[in-house]
Amino acid sequence: MKILIPLKQVPDSTVRVSVAADGKSIKTEGVTWSISPYDEYAIEMALERKDADASTVVAVVTVGPARSRDALRQALAMGCDEASLVVAEETAAPLAVARALAKVVEEAKPDLVLCGKQASDDDQGFIGPALAEVLGWAHVATITKIVPADGAAELWREVEGGHEVWKAKLPALATVHKSEKEPRYPSLPGIMKAKKKEIPERAFASLNVDSSAPALEIVAMEPPPARGAGKILKDGDAKQTAQQLATLLRDEAKVL
Amino acid sequence: MKILVVAERRDGGLRRVSLELAAKAKALGEATILEIAGDRYSPLPFVSALAKKVEAEKPDLVMLGATLNGRDLGARLAARLGRAYAADVTALAVSGNTLEVGRPMYAGKVRAKVRVQMPAVITVRPGAIPLAESAASPDVVKLEADTSAEKLEFVKFAPVASSGKRVSLAEARVIVSGGRGLKGPENWHLVEDLADALGGAVGASRAVTDAGWRPNEEQVGQTGKTVTPDLYVALGISGAIQHLAGMTSSKVIVAVNKDPDADIFKVADYGVVADVFEFVPAFTEAVRKARSS
Ligand SMILES: Cc1cc2nc3c(=O)[nH]c(=O)nc-3n(C[C@H](O)[C@H](O)[C@H](O)COP(=O)(O)OP(=O)(O)OC[C@H]3O[C@@H](n4cnc5c(N)ncnc54)[C@H](O)[C@@H]3O)c2cc1C
Ligand SMILES: Nc1ncnc2c1ncn2[C@@H]1O[C@H](COP(=O)(O)O)[C@@H](O)[C@H]1O
Repeated sequence: MKILIPLKQVPDSTVRVSVAADGKSIKTEGVTWSISPYDEYAIEMALERKDADASTVVAVVTVGPARSRDALRQALAMGCDEASLVVAEETAAPLAVARALAKVVEEAKPDLVLCGKQASDDDQGFIGPALAEVLGWAHVATITKIVPADGAAELWREVEGGHEVWKAKLPALATVHKSEKEPRYPSLPGIMKAKKKEIPERAFASLNVDSSAPALEIVAMEPPPARGAGKILKDGDAKQTAQQLATLLRDEAKVL
Repeated sequence: MKILVVAERRDGGLRRVSLELAAKAKALGEATILEIAGDRYSPLPFVSALAKKVEAEKPDLVMLGATLNGRDLGARLAARLGRAYAADVTALAVSGNTLEVGRPMYAGKVRAKVRVQMPAVITVRPGAIPLAESAASPDVVKLEADTSAEKLEFVKFAPVASSGKRVSLAEARVIVSGGRGLKGPENWHLVEDLADALGGAVGASRAVTDAGWRPNEEQVGQTGKTVTPDLYVALGISGAIQHLAGMTSSKVIVAVNKDPDADIFKVADYGVVADVFEFVPAFTEAVRKARSS
């Protein structure tokens, strides 16, 4: 089975994001970049398939600026087999990105495409379903498990109260919510091997996709409102403090 | 302006977010509230039916709840129709032909104001639009899902044991979350009893869901749910940046942690430096009393 994962490079989850001087983008100086968390789960999920069946091929691709190469290298170091980069402006319209990815999918002919449920920069959750739409494929959203089944796959989807299990004929696409295990760290041999792998690159324009698509224009960005210093209750007897807190919540905060 | 709201049901009744959207849509213009009838949500049958309806009626704006299914349906619908799409909107304003929405980005670490070209599709976060208690239930038009478009086969539903009759996390007005400080799943009755006393839902940190103490669906934070209840109570949670990303927009935050330097206290309106095992039972009791008097 061949699995293709479109991934995105985003600020690492530990980065304290701050707004740039233009008031409508984020400061990128000093930012550590990583693979978007849900894409890491997708990679882990695919690599678990490869652990179970060594004939599995796991490929990654990203559409983005040159720095995204580091994220692809990271994926190779985790154990992915192939990586490729489509160099594009970060301002490419989301639907155009989906069309570019569809071109890559059509060339690579994977059995399964796994996207993250959403990228933790724009938080849109658009590209997965949009890519399936452009390809004309079925998709299952927010999965946590894949069980291969002869020319098909059972995709476990987390919903309120449990899992829905859907059977999809391959090829199909799924967006990933979580893998069964935590995403693995690259091993030392993995890192060495990844260094030697070639990451072919091409320009977005060379894919000749229709880039006319509705745009979202960010007009302003601001940090969430700062929270004022709160009241700290300590050193009291548990019962008294509990009583005091309940009274505050009822009479001051008015939430009881 | 013409607006189409896609409503969702849970346990028979319309979801609260659907009521919120219906009220907002009526305030904005000519509103149709639509419900897609099918056994269960599946992208293709739902998108196919809805896309036909949208093409026939040409609403300027399609609004869905930013729920698990709403976000999936909204994204694929926008792609099919080539419409602009904004997910998880927390504020919206229309002036003339321009739609301006507020939405969190960077896992909730910034808020963006975004101009969206209409016609558009948006999903709106539950609780983002205040709903008057007196709001009447809207008339709902039924649309049959287009089952001929289905390419998937539904195999089964595998329930998780713990989900009782509690309110869903995304829509809850009160949430009590437990972290690693609770020491183990056997102590979750402390979290649940307090949640019950407050009439709220139960959440967890990722340390807890990763350890398998609680199901993933209860995780709050960057890779879990983003929640904005009136009251968020964090029990034995350290306040890692990824957890804060999911809950700092809550109206009132209460934190209980035995470490006075825990980061969670930086965002708490009320912080209690105490051992959860001593404090929580006493607090649950106090809440019961406060609510009944
Ligand atoms: C990419 C990425 C995404 C992530 N996404 C999320 C996410 O969505 N949600 C999330 O929560 N985390 C997320 N994390 C994990 C996050 O970094 C933290 O590891 C996690 O939130 C810690 O959970 P915790 O606070 O329960 O545990 P800990 O950090 O171990 O904290 C336990 C706390 O309990 C207190 N405590 C211990 N005993 C007691 C007691 N008896 N009484 C009172 N207090 C006590 C301790 O003082 C401590 O502060 C993510 C991490 C990464 C890298
Ligand atoms: N520029 C991109 N290149 C490759 N994959 C992407 C890109 N943007 C988004 N994706 C994929 O689509 C998912 C959802 O992204 P988004 O719609 O931006 O929230 C991500 O988790 C990735 O799997």
